[in-house]
Amino acid sequence: MTLKKLFSFCFLFLCQFIWAQSDTITNLKEVIVSDANLIKYSNSQSVLKLNDSIINKNEPLLTDLLNFNSTIYFKEYGRGMLSTVSFRGTTASQTAVIWNGININSQMNGSTDFNTISGTDYNSVSVKAGGGSVLYGSGAIGGTVHLNNDMKFDNKFTNKLRLDYGSFNTIGINYQTNISNDKWSTQIGFSKNSSTNDYKYLNRYTWRGEQRWNQNGQYDIITVNANAGYKFNAKNRLKLYTQASNTDRNTSLLTESEIKTKYKSGFNRNLLEYDGDFGKLTTNLKAAYIFEDFQYFPDNSLNLFTFGKTENLITKADIGYSLSKSTQLNAIADYSKTKGYGSGFGDHAREISSVALLLKQDFSTDWKNELSVRKEFTENYKSPVLFSLGTSYQFSELYNLKVNVSRNFRIPTFNDLYWEQGGNPDLKPESSYQAEIGNVFSFKNISLTQTFYYIKIQDLLQWVPGRGGIWSPKNTDKVNSYGSETLLNWNKQYGKNHFTASATYAYTISEDLETKNQLFFVPFHKATGAVSYSRNKISAYYQFLYNGFVYTQTDNDPDKIVKDYTVSNIGVDYDFNFLNSFKLGFQLLNLFNKNYESLESRPMPGRNFNIYLNFKF
Amino acid sequence: MKKITQFLFLALSVSLFVSCSNDDSDNPKGVYDDGFFILNEGSADGGSVSFVGEDLSTFNADVYKTVNGADFVGKYLQNIFFDGDKAYIISGGSNVINVVNRYTFQLIAKIDSDLANPRYGVVKDGKAYVTNANTYSYSNPATGDTDDYVAVINLTTNKVESKIALNSTANRIIEENNKLYITDASNSKLLILNPSTKALEGSVEIGFGANSMEEEDGYLYILKNSYSDRSEIVKVKLSDKTIAKITFPESLDSGQGFLDIEDNKIYYTANNDVYVMSTSATAASTTPIFTAAISTDGSIYGFAVEDDKIYVSDSGDYASNSKAFVYNLSGALLKDFTVGIAPNGFYFND
Repeated sequence: MTLKKLFSFCFLFLCQFIWAQSDTITNLKEVIVSDANLIKYSNSQSVLKLNDSIINKNEPLLTDLLNFNSTIYFKEYGRGMLSTVSFRGTTASQTAVIWNGININSQMNGSTDFNTISGTDYNSVSVKAGGGSVLYGSGAIGGTVHLNNDMKFDNKFTNKLRLDYGSFNTIGINYQTNISNDKWSTQIGFSKNSSTNDYKYLNRYTWRGEQRWNQNGQYDIITVNANAGYKFNAKNRLKLYTQASNTDRNTSLLTESEIKTKYKSGFNRNLLEYDGDFGKLTTNLKAAYIFEDFQYFPDNSLNLFTFGKTENLITKADIGYSLSKSTQLNAIADYSKTKGYGSGFGDHAREISSVALLLKQDFSTDWKNELSVRKEFTENYKSPVLFSLGTSYQFSELYNLKVNVSRNFRIPTFNDLYWEQGGNPDLKPESSYQAEIGNVFSFKNISLTQTFYYIKIQDLLQWVPGRGGIWSPKNTDKVNSYGSETLLNWNKQYGKNHFTASATYAYTISEDLETKNQLFFVPFHKATGAVSYSRNKISAYYQFLYNGFVYTQTDNDPDKIVKDYTVSNIGVDYDFNFLNSFKLGFQLLNLFNKNYESLESRPMPGRNFNIYLNFKF
Repeated sequence: MKKITQFLFLALSVSLFVSCSNDDSDNPKGVYDDGFFILNEGSADGGSVSFVGEDLSTFNADVYKTVNGADFVGKYLQNIFFDGDKAYIISGGSNVINVVNRYTFQLIAKIDSDLANPRYGVVKDGKAYVTNANTYSYSNPATGDTDDYVAVINLTTNKVESKIALNSTANRIIEENNKLYITDASNSKLLILNPSTKALEGSVEIGFGANSMEEEDGYLYILKNSYSDRSEIVKVKLSDKTIAKITFPESLDSGQGFLDIEDNKIYYTANNDVYVMSTSATAASTTPIFTAAISTDGSIYGFAVEDDKIYVSDSGDYASNSKAFVYNLSGALLKDFTVGIAPNGFYFND
């Protein structure tokens, strides 16, 4: 239903823009980023931006994109199934996902399932390591993942269509159109990713000797986007972002005899934004409405389900003032109200307001400083004063030093507070102090970013069994997480031959202070690498992922681990130069047919292929 | 998760052992003859079975894996029952019963169809009777509390040959004198089933909260955990189905307690304490024999008394290996073992 509505909405707008295009033509190129603060207040931290050329070389779902291109660790319940992250050794709900500047982690469980998001729906996906709760609120402890739809006002009408077909009936359809003139800009997108996902488990047989395969693993994810911007004049502009998505997914079986279950989830996000630019004074006003729901079917053969829904209304005012050429001050006030109702946690609402003050001072082009403070007010819990303090100093062209200290938090979710039975209304938010030092080296075509961090997390929320076997969340553990991240990039052109290479490596210690054990499902080591080569119309690429072993138990029993694995993909595409661009591509995934598991007893597919067509017109 | 909150019980009524011919000869029938198994419920990633030799010095933390390699035993292991030289390991989360040789632990077969959240089983005349919780009312409000059944399994073919609908909830089951007795915490009635006719023969009102039960000298002793009321031992006289109750004082309020009977004594637990009273007593003892060495997050999750020893297991935090303890009857700790996740029962193999 929501999809239908959105479609009619899109077409309504589409007509206007086609009409608008024939209007005045002044070739004024401008890109408006959807999340200005990501650029403005991130000088002292590391941001890895994955643009559409990288997005296009990866499988559509966000898990694959980020798994092969960032230091984030993924825990996937089989291919395409529930996928949660650990960033800098933190838990799944300590990485915030930010859609065009708005935190979209689930209000119900606090985390995001990265297999319900298609990277192709965005112009860029950025990964910001480290704390960001002052700007992005709850959950921005390990880091933030930013899904951005940036708008161009460049008098163009472009269309992109990508079609994928791969093993296990994996089908991807992605279409995006951009229409703009100097006043209007609009993007309309549609993506559908589905698979019967019935892959064979390499070298695994049932006790009867039958080949085992991934049963009940089918998924289907549909997302539509419509974003529009209008510039009234040089000073005033309005932007509207809308997105609706539906994920219909079964849950892969651990054993053939299990009851087959499925999970449907969906969301609808709307964000209206006003930008005013009056010289020294800037204003940014936002109003967002986010709806999220799920239905869990404990038995596919019965039409019975449990459910949960939340509606979240967010309003935000951000006033910026330039005190001087080098000093910028922003004051942000926001208010959000969330209503949740579900079969597990009843009917509840919570209101949170906050004020924040951000100061940015550039002593020179080489020395930039940031200071920000935020405080939340709510009746639900006591909220700590959050801050972020950072500096970036460019010693030479070769070397840039970044230092950042911050305090961040994660608030209890609806499940934590209200779950029946066991919900605990007296929880404190998880809070963390974090310090990091980043060294950025740039030399000719090479850039190397090396970051050391230390995070101290208090009041970690854990569900623990209580009297009578009823589980209940408590603020129990203290965790120290520390380690290093390395990002390497290189590109070089020799005549018509263009080479690029990139690599990431993360070393992570995440230690429970009481037991001195590594947190389960946090690998000590993770590395990724990619090389690509292009010449004229042809391009080829290779990527690999190394995931170190993880403990699956809190006591670090060395027999209870998910083994380490290395998995590689290779791809090639050819541009037939028909229309603007017409690429035919072929990918071999898991090139070496590695038998591996992302989670215990959850085998991943062996060697498989994907063919794609990429049109631009 | 729901299942984790369920409790363990010793499915082995003494009568079960009648059918297995134990000789005291010096020829062990396999590596795991003479000793006991500890069933580890495990997590969603699967459970395990530990073995301890009779001398308490032989120990294997995961016999199923040792013998059967990569074969997946199943998630949420609930119960083991025996028949002849076979052991049947019930995995509630995977709808599987693994049939293994009880002395070598070699996998023989799996019963893997027509089960729905299987719980506990007993054997009578070549057939196994296994309670199935089927759907739960939190997700199936219409029939979740009335769709439980007993699966009748032909142990020659290892197939479910029929299902006996119970029209209520069912969990623990024992066999005594050609009758099956079934209880469940959320069922106020004790169900009586006749295995010859495969039909319900009536019920006895005992109240909610029934957990461990044990038959001794014509009486069924049922420990009831009551979340709002006091805990009770309900004594059902099987000949005329009359009941008597021993109501525990408030000091013995406990989320989950266990009971086992040995030599005319009722051993029972409340919180982390183990108590004893005579089967003829009319009031519960409030002086514990000892307090078990349970971890901070844990609780007693498995309990048995056998051959002058008391066996207690600690639920642990459900995310790491936990412990099983062996005490003598006066409460002195003889030995402890680090077993798997959430050990929930002791099964004696002798």
